[in-house]
Amino acid sequence: MRQIRGEIGAVAKADGSAFFEMGNTKVIAAVYGPREGFGKDGETHSYWSENSRVNYKVENRSQQISDQALVRCEYTMANFSTGDRMRKPKGDRRSTEISLVIRQTMEACILTHLMPRSQIDIFVQVLQADGGTRSACINAATLALADAGIPMRDLVTSCSAGYLNSTPLLDLNYVEDSAGGPDVTVGILPKLDKVTLLQMDAKLPMDIFENVMQLAIEGCKAIANYIREVFDVKACVASMVICLVLIFSTSDLYMGIFLDSGIGGHYNCSFVLCNIFVKKINRNPQKQAPSDGSTCFYGKQKWEELLISTRDES
Amino acid sequence: MEDNTPASFVDQLVVPGDVVLDLSKMGNQTIKLGGGLHQDCDAITVTKAGRLRFSKPNKYWVESSQKRYVPCVEDTVLGIVVDSKADNFLVDIKGPALAFLPVLAFEGGTRRNIPKFEAGTLLYVRVVKANTGMNPELSCTDASGKAAEFGPLKDGYMFESSTGLSRMLLSSPTCPVLEALGKKLSFEIAVGLNGRVWVNASSPSTVILVANAIMNSESLSVVQQKIMVDKLLQRIQ
Repeated sequence: MRQIRGEIGAVAKADGSAFFEMGNTKVIAAVYGPREGFGKDGETHSYWSENSRVNYKVENRSQQISDQALVRCEYTMANFSTGDRMRKPKGDRRSTEISLVIRQTMEACILTHLMPRSQIDIFVQVLQADGGTRSACINAATLALADAGIPMRDLVTSCSAGYLNSTPLLDLNYVEDSAGGPDVTVGILPKLDKVTLLQMDAKLPMDIFENVMQLAIEGCKAIANYIREVFDVKACVASMVICLVLIFSTSDLYMGIFLDSGIGGHYNCSFVLCNIFVKKINRNPQKQAPSDGSTCFYGKQKWEELLISTRDES
Repeated sequence: MEDNTPASFVDQLVVPGDVVLDLSKMGNQTIKLGGGLHQDCDAITVTKAGRLRFSKPNKYWVESSQKRYVPCVEDTVLGIVVDSKADNFLVDIKGPALAFLPVLAFEGGTRRNIPKFEAGTLLYVRVVKANTGMNPELSCTDASGKAAEFGPLKDGYMFESSTGLSRMLLSSPTCPVLEALGKKLSFEIAVGLNGRVWVNASSPSTVILVANAIMNSESLSVVQQKIMVDKLLQRIQ
């Protein structure tokens, strides 16, 4: 399986959001809801609300389900996600089909009867496509739903597998996928051991199919373990970021940036700080190399002295 | 699946799907389940990611912090008026459905003196009814009919945070951030359990300082919060 990476809280405005990478395939998911699902046919309704001042196009009233939440899903690929720039990123048949597939998979595991007459929107966008986009989208949607606190039966994880040159392969990338062999995508609920998604194109003999499907299920379980760790890390990263800031806080410049990042940006804050951190070290390569190999921190005054002295030297 | 003793999951991070209790092994006890837990025949599974908490003698619940709010009875929340109908105001409280605030639910409210709230007014209200599937009902009085600080909030600044932060701000003894800020600055604050916080002070810089301090304090420990507030206050003085 390719290297996977997942992060929570990528989109500050959304109720829940996540960013998921499987090898070179990068996907971002945002979840809004549960929120009011209402409105008359075709009417655009805008209402004032601090977080969602939107003119969101409302559904026909007939779509509001009286005893369940309505789950909507939209899958789009960014223009720049594939090798050649795409003309029409959504609305084509493949996107509609994948949207439907993701919606059915997530609906099977969300406890919709707890939130009647409301609607949950899942938006998934592929930023970089290198095979396995369907699986990466489902994994990202799971993380985003858990981040939004929507009650779920279990995590849904998904992985694809194929069969090329008489060997079962796990997690195909674009090259392996377009080689012409079959592509089996499996989505499971790992703790309950239930399959919610099973798709295959091309043909496979039954016994080989069982092997390939078993391989895909093992891949899904490995992803489930990783996703569990992402939640643990979420609690630790925040405190790490704050410690870094406290160390930098002797300098006014970094204090200003800390104040601006706000609460939704654990991800952004740490990214910004890492950038500054790296720049600080790079700008000062020869001066006072640290004795024990660790990095040193300078106050603002010392930093200015160093800048002046390097300028004088050059 | 695996059998897990309840003690091993209490105060741990849990994700949806974890089986935290197996009733067949527990004997004849009565267990009370709070939010985030769901019963599936004999197994109690987690439905929301968070920390599992246990309080004696028999209560289990998952403590999680989200941006979206689940309405509960007797919660005090900050709502924003969306629309006004003949009988009630429609108020957005960041929950799955818009809430109704009856036009007469004010102290001394009669048909003759109905308050006029425009769309966008911020209100401090109390949740009276919260059943799944029905729109929640609110009230601007406390249980005995007095006004008790409920009603529209004028001036000030409102920002949104997560429900976990609101609970921390309302915990007793006083949250360390508020205590440290209160020693040096004077401001008034209204915290809604739905993740909205309103701050008002005499000068805008105080308001911004308090708002930033609260927003940054979500994942800090007690000592870190005090240090952060001290550093922020030093920049002002």
